Amino acid sequence: MSAIKRNNVRVSGKGNQPIMFAHGYGCDQNMWRFIYPAFEDNYKIVLFDHVGAGNSDETAYSTAKYNSLDGYVSDILEICTELGLQDVIFVGHSVSAIMGVLAAGREPERFQNLILIGPSPRYINGDGYIGGFNPEDIEGLMEALDSNYLGWSANMAPVIMGNPDRPELGEELTNSFCRTNPEIAKQFARVTFLSDNRKDLAVVETPSLILQCSEDVIAPREVGEYVCRNLKNSTFYLMKATGHCPNLSAPEETIQAIEDYLAGVLL
Amino acid sequence: MSINNYEKIPGESAEELYENAPCGYLSFVGDGTVVKINKTLLSWLNYEKEEVLFVKKIQSILSIGGRIFFETHFFPLIRMQGFVKEINFDLVRKDKSPLPVLLNVNEVAGPEGNQKVYRATIFDITDRKKYEKELMAARKKAEGAASAKAEFLATISHEIRTPLNAVIGIANLIQKTPLNDQQKEYARILKLSSDGLLGLVNDILDFSKIEKGKIKLEEKSFVLKDVVHMVVSTLAVKAGEKNIDLQLDMDSNLPATLLGDPLKLNQILTNLIGNAIKFTREGFVKLVISLLEKEGSKALLQFRVIDTGIGIPEDKLEAIFEEFSQASYEINLGYGGTGLGLTISQKLLQLHGSHMEVASESGKGSEFSFSISYKISGEKPKAEVEENPAIYRRKLESAKVLVVDDTPVNITIILEYLKEWNVACKSAGNGVEALELVSGNEFDLILMDLQMPEMNGYEATEAIRRLDLTKQPAIIALSASARGDISEKLRISGFNDYVPKPFDPADLYKVLISHIGNIENEAKQDFSVALSQEEPESKEGDRLAELIAEPFDLSYYVKVTKKKEASLEEILFKTIKAFEEYKDQFSAAIDEKDTGKLAGLVHKSKMTIHYIQAKKLDKVVQEARELVDNEENDAELIEEKLKELQTEFQVVIEGLKSVRVNDLISKSN
Repeated sequence: MSAIKRNNVRVSGKGNQPIMFAHGYGCDQNMWRFIYPAFEDNYKIVLFDHVGAGNSDETAYSTAKYNSLDGYVSDILEICTELGLQDVIFVGHSVSAIMGVLAAGREPERFQNLILIGPSPRYINGDGYIGGFNPEDIEGLMEALDSNYLGWSANMAPVIMGNPDRPELGEELTNSFCRTNPEIAKQFARVTFLSDNRKDLAVVETPSLILQCSEDVIAPREVGEYVCRNLKNSTFYLMKATGHCPNLSAPEETIQAIEDYLAGVLL
Repeated sequence: MSINNYEKIPGESAEELYENAPCGYLSFVGDGTVVKINKTLLSWLNYEKEEVLFVKKIQSILSIGGRIFFETHFFPLIRMQGFVKEINFDLVRKDKSPLPVLLNVNEVAGPEGNQKVYRATIFDITDRKKYEKELMAARKKAEGAASAKAEFLATISHEIRTPLNAVIGIANLIQKTPLNDQQKEYARILKLSSDGLLGLVNDILDFSKIEKGKIKLEEKSFVLKDVVHMVVSTLAVKAGEKNIDLQLDMDSNLPATLLGDPLKLNQILTNLIGNAIKFTREGFVKLVISLLEKEGSKALLQFRVIDTGIGIPEDKLEAIFEEFSQASYEINLGYGGTGLGLTISQKLLQLHGSHMEVASESGKGSEFSFSISYKISGEKPKAEVEENPAIYRRKLESAKVLVVDDTPVNITIILEYLKEWNVACKSAGNGVEALELVSGNEFDLILMDLQMPEMNGYEATEAIRRLDLTKQPAIIALSASARGDISEKLRISGFNDYVPKPFDPADLYKVLISHIGNIENEAKQDFSVALSQEEPESKEGDRLAELIAEPFDLSYYVKVTKKKEASLEEILFKTIKAFEEYKDQFSAAIDEKDTGKLAGLVHKSKMTIHYIQAKKLDKVVQEARELVDNEENDAELIEEKLKELQTEFQVVIEGLKSVRVNDLISKSN
């Protein structure tokens, strides 16, 4: 099956320089809604959904393939190949930021820059490393996932109909945002939160920007700084925005930071 | 009394209602800081107001899982659409105990322009959660029981298969010994019953595989007519025994080759037609296949099996699809059967995205129907020409076979068959013995049991493949567990094919001839010798052919199929298919001037061309070969000869297609 169909790839924009946005755990490509329009004039925008999220083809999901981040990384590289993309600027949020690092490790010639929003190579504290979570915390999360305690799925099917305060949202968001199959969400959570990709940082030399939010519970500042120390050619930028999704909570600041970096201002 | 008095009843101001509401109210800003909270929620959480207001963030009263969920799903959603309804979270009380709640949040403008405030309404669902958990537990228990049942059935059936193998084998063999009338009758019943038992065991195994989701649909190219013909000709025998007319009506515009799973289609059709025949005392059973719609490369086919049988009472129409159920207890007594066939067919159809429909009238008859959408295949599947058995019998006679099995009675049975077919054979009781024998002797084919002590079938095969032999034998697994395509495990170990246990002698024969026949030993097999030995029989055919000057003559086929309509149909179909394939292959080989390929084709097609006495075709083939072999000849000549060859092929093919089997049979009587 073509990657374009499998990952619900959407290409837009007037420019030739490709900029690819990869959503993180919990959402789909719609989370870039406030960001990508700012780049449409000068870039070729590539948006996609990870398998199991948004409008991707769920039948393509297999526990064997997506047992580790490598399966997702392969998809990313496949999309690049199918679209014939070169010198890609990769913008990855959360776990997708690490996927970008892994992708650049596998095909360094393919990527020009990595823009990493809230990256974390490992979430669990241990042997001097601060990931932000204790093993019991993650176990608690896994238990909650396994017992379906949080009812994550059906209730998240969004109801975006006739919201008078947000006329710009539009029809196409209906029923596609944050709609992740619960079984897949469980495994994706496991794969994400139990991963350890610290050693994969050192091999990548692609120039990178790390956008670190203040008070990000999921990817705390210590983690962002760790990534910066271990990723060659990386620039660390502390944002005023708080929380884990600055692309949604502070889109203007996020756009500005990316633009400044690409223009060489932030170096 | 006036309205105004009731407006201002103490204890009912908006403020008081807010604080004492039966639900919790909580407001927080963008970074999570709590800016307003009502008394109810505070009491649920066991906090004092000062401990929370502007001090705590909402994240801190969520469990860890909730916190992550909040950051990754919940908050983005609110930012996107301005509200979230009915999300289930676990709040964390002061004493760290969990409080399951339902959260509704709205984004509203804050008091200072730009800032947003998130206003949450919180419902305590402790009770509901408890009931949910109990329901889930009960459901898991029930599912566990169902799966344990299926597992148990599968295990038992597996165990039964081994001794069943012996019973069926012996039943077959006994029928071949001299018996008096009474013994013949006993033997017949024995075979019938043991075959029936095998059917039951296979059904159970299939059913449990489907339940476990272990059955997948294949996607391969197949010829629809072939599958249908195989089913019909197999069941025609049973129908004939009961004097029921078995009819086939296929739409003329059905696509010839499809992409799909022919085995499953065969299984479903066999089940339906078999049932129809079983439950019909007189009249007919008809299979109708029509093209409902065709769009681009997809075709929607409808299959209907209609019978004039005993019918099904209306209130049982749903029940017959349930496992182990038949229309009634009496049906089971009178007609036997497992009650699994329809269930399996229904589940297989579900895999295809389809379902079975039934219409019936008690005493009049029934109609079972379903439709499947297939992709039309551009490819032609591999040609499987079933050449004349006599030629293969000869190949078997010169073959050396080794039988490896740790059960003496299984060896006895197989050796009996092999001796009947005049095959030279040796036997070994386990993998180690087999390895010794293979090292010291040359074998063309090995029948290898899988479960054996000391060295099992897999290990033995792997070891044999590692030996440095002048010729590696074909190794066939004798397997009690494989059904359907050869499993990956067998392939990896080096097996060529398998015969399922218990096996029909016909299955064994088929596998033998297909693997011994594939050995390219041009030096050993002298076809001209075989040809000359066939001459006397076909001389009559020769004369006849000359008289009528037909492009071919089918009297040999009529003889070999013993004038059986269904067999003749089948062999004709296979021949037509083969010739269509040959026509293309010959064209390609001549175009490319590939002498090697051409020689191979001539060799391959020689027998069939001979058996249908297609003399002109034979001649043109030889001429074409000579032209290509002689490299000097110019392109025009070859082009001409190629056209002649294609024409003659076409003449033969069209001629074969227009043969009416009934006429052919009556003409030869």
